[in-house]
Amino acid sequence: MLKIENLVVNYGYISALRGVSMEIKENEIISLIGGNGAGKTTTLMAISNLVKKAEGSIVFNGINITKMEANKIVDLGIAHVPEGRNIFKQLSVEENLIIGTISDKKITRSKVNEKCEEMFLLFPRLKERRKKPGGSLSGGEQQMLAIARGLMMKPKLLMLDEPSLGLAPIIIEEIFELLQKVKTDGMTILLIEQNATMALNVADRGYVLQNGEIVLTGTGKELLNNPDVKKAYLGI
Amino acid sequence: MYILEQLVNGLCQGSIYALMAIGYAVIYGVVGLVTFTYGEIIMMGSFSAFYYFIAFGDNLLFALVAGFITAALVGVIVHKVCYQRFLDAPRYISLICTIGMSMFLKNFATLVFGSEMKGMPTFFEGKFISLAGIRINYLQLMIMGIVILFSVGLTVFLKKTRIGMKLRAVSQDKKAAALVGINVKNTTLLGNCIGCGLGGVAGILLGVYYNSVLPTMGGMAGLKAFSAMVLGGLGSITGAAVGGVVIGVTENLGIAFASSGLRDVFAFALLVVVLIVRPQGLFGKKGN
Repeated sequence: MLKIENLVVNYGYISALRGVSMEIKENEIISLIGGNGAGKTTTLMAISNLVKKAEGSIVFNGINITKMEANKIVDLGIAHVPEGRNIFKQLSVEENLIIGTISDKKITRSKVNEKCEEMFLLFPRLKERRKKPGGSLSGGEQQMLAIARGLMMKPKLLMLDEPSLGLAPIIIEEIFELLQKVKTDGMTILLIEQNATMALNVADRGYVLQNGEIVLTGTGKELLNNPDVKKAYLGI
Repeated sequence: MYILEQLVNGLCQGSIYALMAIGYAVIYGVVGLVTFTYGEIIMMGSFSAFYYFIAFGDNLLFALVAGFITAALVGVIVHKVCYQRFLDAPRYISLICTIGMSMFLKNFATLVFGSEMKGMPTFFEGKFISLAGIRINYLQLMIMGIVILFSVGLTVFLKKTRIGMKLRAVSQDKKAAALVGINVKNTTLLGNCIGCGLGGVAGILLGVYYNSVLPTMGGMAGLKAFSAMVLGGLGSITGAAVGGVVIGVTENLGIAFASSGLRDVFAFALLVVVLIVRPQGLFGKKGN
């Protein structure tokens, strides 16, 4: 579905990614784990074309998206829930959801409402706050809103950047349950996490990123039992 | 009574400032930068109306619409020259470019239109109504009406339409806007054009109110628009509107109590005081 080949990204003199290659197949959950500064966020930004790539190619469903504009990539069906959430603080919760459908020109009002209700079913807490500005939500609620906004886009591929960051364990569990639920609906998920145990538990396959390079890859279970991964990321 | 009449004058002038400031706030929002070309956009709007009046008769409605479009088109040029080329460059480059653009437009206008003051047609021949002894010009009423119309129109457009939502999204967070599939480049261009169009309309009202247009009128007008926006809180449209009215009223009340030569002193002194007491502006949020 998504094929990344030899991706190189430089920030000035620092190279953030030095030839990353990955493949994501339909209806998989892929976890990308790694420490701070390993290049996880940069990888997602490169897929969404928010950073300039020095080298490499990214192909999504047979279409080369390496140099495509960010909004067109979204139109193809890739939703990126960024780190730090990036919800619209002055738009209401409901508007934040509606804006997820903004690139779909043919969508009807009733269809949008229907989708909003779907999200409120998944996240009842958002429903209570639907008229409040997004900036007034707590961190966990903002994260839910960001994920819900991503789901509103009905993407083929959902990319999540550290969805568990700064959240209470109980909410993290909720979010991971949700990911498995949307997977059964046929969505493909690329997940970035520092919380490696959680991420590898739900993942079909995982990649370990270190200093801008993929150092290990395997199924979620294999990586969980890999002694190097255990030592470096699981704290065992 | 004299004070009350000055208050009405202030409200009228303030509403013109308000419209300028609203346009400025829209531009500041989508572009994310202050612009120094705005005064010249106001001037260009005003001059376009001057020529529309000559060519098509004293039809104010037509002049307003055509002036809006003309100013918006100048906005396209400003966007192409000052913003689009420097998207990836440090922000101050665009800023400096707008200063250059401002000089260019001012001198272009002087060359092409002439440096002398030109008269705008009079409307309503100075007719007025008396309300409890206060004289209110038809012209003043009409100007306030037009400003309210444009402000309400803009608010509805921003709140109720999909394009309006895109504009608000781009103003708040460009990265997130791109990630939900908004074409940030085109939306910024559109927002810049709408802001410039509103500036152009304000310029026409200013010209009609004072019965004159000048190539150098933009300097002070742009400064007032900027002050009104800062007074209200950067980027807040309601704030900009209130800021504009407050500056207009302060100026005219100041004239009532002191000399009219001190008009601008009052406006800018007020700005300084407000910024010391409330640095985020009247309607601004802290930390924004």
